[in-house]
Amino acid sequence: MTDLGNIALWIALLIALWASVVGFVAGKTRRADLMRSAERSIFAMWGLLVIASAGLMHALLTHDFNVEYVAAYTSRNLPVFYTWSAFYAGQKGSLLLWALVVSTFGSAALLVNRRKYPELMPYVAGTIAIVVVFFVATMVFASNPFERLGFTPADGRGLNPQLQNPGMVFHPPMLYLGYTSISVPFAFAVAALISGKLDTGWLHAIRKWTLLSWLFLSCGIVLGMWWAYVELGWGGYWAWDPVENASFLPWLTMTAFLHSVMIQEKRGMLKKWNIGLIVGSFLLSIFGTFLTRSGVISSVHSFAQSNVGWFFLIFLVLAAVVGFGLLAYRWPALAAESRLESMVSREAAFLFNNLILIVIAFSVLWGTLFPVISEAVRGTKVTVGPPFFNQVNVPLGLLLLLLTGIGPLIAWRRASTANLKRQFLWPVFAMLVTAAALAAVRMSDAWSIVAYALAAFVVVTVAQEFVRGTGARHRLHGEAYPLALVRLIGRNRRRYGGYVVHLGIVMLFAAFAGLAFKSDTEVTLKPGQSVDVKSPYGYSYHITHQGISQYEQLNRFVTAASVDVTRAGKYMGTMKSEKRQHLDSLGNPTFEPSTAVAIHSDLREDLYIVFAGAVNGTEEAVYRITINPLVWWVWYGGLVLAIGGLITLWPTAQGPTPVSRRRAEPAGYVAQVGA
Amino acid sequence: MWRRSALSLVGLLVAASLAAQVPPRSAAVAPRDSSRGTVVRQRTGDSLGRLEAPEAAGRPAQRVTERDNEALVKDIEHKIRCTCGCNLDVFTCRTTDFTCTTSPAMHRLVLARLDSGMTEAQVLAAFQQQYGEMIFMQPPKRGFNWAAYVMPFLGLGLGLGLVVGVVRRWVRAQPKTAEAGAAAAPGETPAGVTPEEMERLKQELEKFEA
Repeated sequence: MTDLGNIALWIALLIALWASVVGFVAGKTRRADLMRSAERSIFAMWGLLVIASAGLMHALLTHDFNVEYVAAYTSRNLPVFYTWSAFYAGQKGSLLLWALVVSTFGSAALLVNRRKYPELMPYVAGTIAIVVVFFVATMVFASNPFERLGFTPADGRGLNPQLQNPGMVFHPPMLYLGYTSISVPFAFAVAALISGKLDTGWLHAIRKWTLLSWLFLSCGIVLGMWWAYVELGWGGYWAWDPVENASFLPWLTMTAFLHSVMIQEKRGMLKKWNIGLIVGSFLLSIFGTFLTRSGVISSVHSFAQSNVGWFFLIFLVLAAVVGFGLLAYRWPALAAESRLESMVSREAAFLFNNLILIVIAFSVLWGTLFPVISEAVRGTKVTVGPPFFNQVNVPLGLLLLLLTGIGPLIAWRRASTANLKRQFLWPVFAMLVTAAALAAVRMSDAWSIVAYALAAFVVVTVAQEFVRGTGARHRLHGEAYPLALVRLIGRNRRRYGGYVVHLGIVMLFAAFAGLAFKSDTEVTLKPGQSVDVKSPYGYSYHITHQGISQYEQLNRFVTAASVDVTRAGKYMGTMKSEKRQHLDSLGNPTFEPSTAVAIHSDLREDLYIVFAGAVNGTEEAVYRITINPLVWWVWYGGLVLAIGGLITLWPTAQGPTPVSRRRAEPAGYVAQVGA
Repeated sequence: MWRRSALSLVGLLVAASLAAQVPPRSAAVAPRDSSRGTVVRQRTGDSLGRLEAPEAAGRPAQRVTERDNEALVKDIEHKIRCTCGCNLDVFTCRTTDFTCTTSPAMHRLVLARLDSGMTEAQVLAAFQQQYGEMIFMQPPKRGFNWAAYVMPFLGLGLGLGLVVGVVRRWVRAQPKTAEAGAAAAPGETPAGVTPEEMERLKQELEKFEA
């Protein structure tokens, strides 16, 4: 089965090569037979990559340690759950997953759209095939997951303990799904540019793909934050590490696109900008992978350094030249159909929103690359860590939060004074009251006050929209309020789903602002000894060390330190933090001992206890106790954001809006887009 | 298909979010939690509180002193980077990566330098002399490093100028277009159209674009 997988990989490469050539020829010559061939090649390529993936999975599950990848990332005593996730724990497997997912999305895009956009699809097939060629070629020539060893070890090295966490099972595939699904919008953008079909039709095809990609990326990022928080034990969830930044960059550009595409659909403006954002998002998703694999930037997430980075760099440059070259070629054909009528309009607010998102993306990219730039210019290495990113991005993020409230409420074309007053009276009032209240209770951090005031502003703008919409339905149709609310959302999922996403963003901002009040305390406690740790809310935690116990569990030897916790005199329970020494199948230690954190989470704050170690091999324990305000809001903010994304993504019977349909008319897509 | 996939995704997110909350355990002393696997063999310390397998508890820990929790010490250690290659600051590394021997040594150096009478600025300067600029968690604000801080806001300024300029040009061009194409000035009702009809048209347009 393993060899079959290897053979399938090679054949997939050849077929992908054929599809990439025949797709473009079919688009140029409009020969139906060639188009069919390109399409079938994409499906065949997908089938072969499924076989290759099954081959690797078989090797992992049967412990075929003669395969280098299996020996490097698994061991006999690794739980099946994590043996499964070892598929993408290393570089080679993750490349195979990437190729598989691109071909899956590509095949799905062909199946869904082949009748709707016949002029675009050959180019879409060709572009998807090129992306797959790149990944498969990288595997077979530089990083083959089926590479065999000259001998068969008795056992493998096992999986890094930090990757043995449920978060790590879901986080990487989600990120890969996000990174890879952007290939479909990119392929459509390339197809539109080559074919010259530059009306709104291609946008209808890709809007949901982009939204899907954005949703996967959002979930991947939040799950990654959760994994970092519960597994790494440093008490935070975002460290502005280059690899974290790399996932954030395409998210920002996709978010910008999801806003600016509305302007193109409604007003026929920003066509060049939107294509640029799609091309940019695709390039940034490749750039993220390049950063992870090349070793150009030092990161805690880096895969083993290899020559794979060069493959990615070359592909990145080629994709940039082709994408932006085509955009330049079609520049005159992408003129706006209408113009902005007022600085005080929704179009203008979305433009500013796009500007802020792109500036944040630029600042993150700039900060990530600055160590390399500094070394190249001055020959001096510098570190660009969280203090820099926080300093630069906090004001930008708050500006974005303000626009999150303004954008959806301001009128299209031109907002009148009456419109502004009607929409913003209560939100501004809420903002001022919040700021005054926080200042009155002497909140010490000015940025946090601004953040919470703006959060109140956005929440009231969103609530106002729901209240007014529900009230209108209640009055017009006589529906009960709950039914009116459900129908309000159901009838305009894109708009109200967007509002729910905004609520999720507000929850995330509220959580980030809470970081200003984080505190760390280190203590040494003998069994029975206690420590009081003060919460920013004023009360104290009374923490009593109970003792340390050791035991074997699954594939590890556990040293567990337990504490009893009371909060403001009320008993909360026992919390247990562990040191885990992982063992191989012969019972020998593998890897350094890892830490399992004890976390008690509620709406207000997390009590985060890390067992740092035992003193002189006794039950006297060293703890780091962190009070982390509002962390709960990160996870549930992420959940709300995902629910909002799903509402927006949910298919509607009526399809695109009438205005958007009208813009697709010249290309004759009217009859098709509604399906 | 769409609905099923979306539902699975919601289920996954709910599960992941719920898992983020680790409820306090009711047991008095570990180990009683076997929910995450079977406890094969349990070992306890002796009557003197010595662990049976201290090596499995990670690097031997040093007792924490009051000085370790001093705000000044933490402040300095948050500003300097551990040189072990972890990309973390010294405080975070020494309280997180319990296999690192570099950050505890740097912590001792911070304490020693403060003990010798150095101020925070002097301690930081001493580290810079020893390791260069890369020892700081953010580039010091001087010379070429200013580019790191200024560029994003320069980009914002340029972008803002560009957007405002373009929008103004478009807005200024608007009345001419309107004059050429429309018989009535904004706010006026065109000839032959009643105000009621205008209002209805406005409402229809708003509905159409909503």
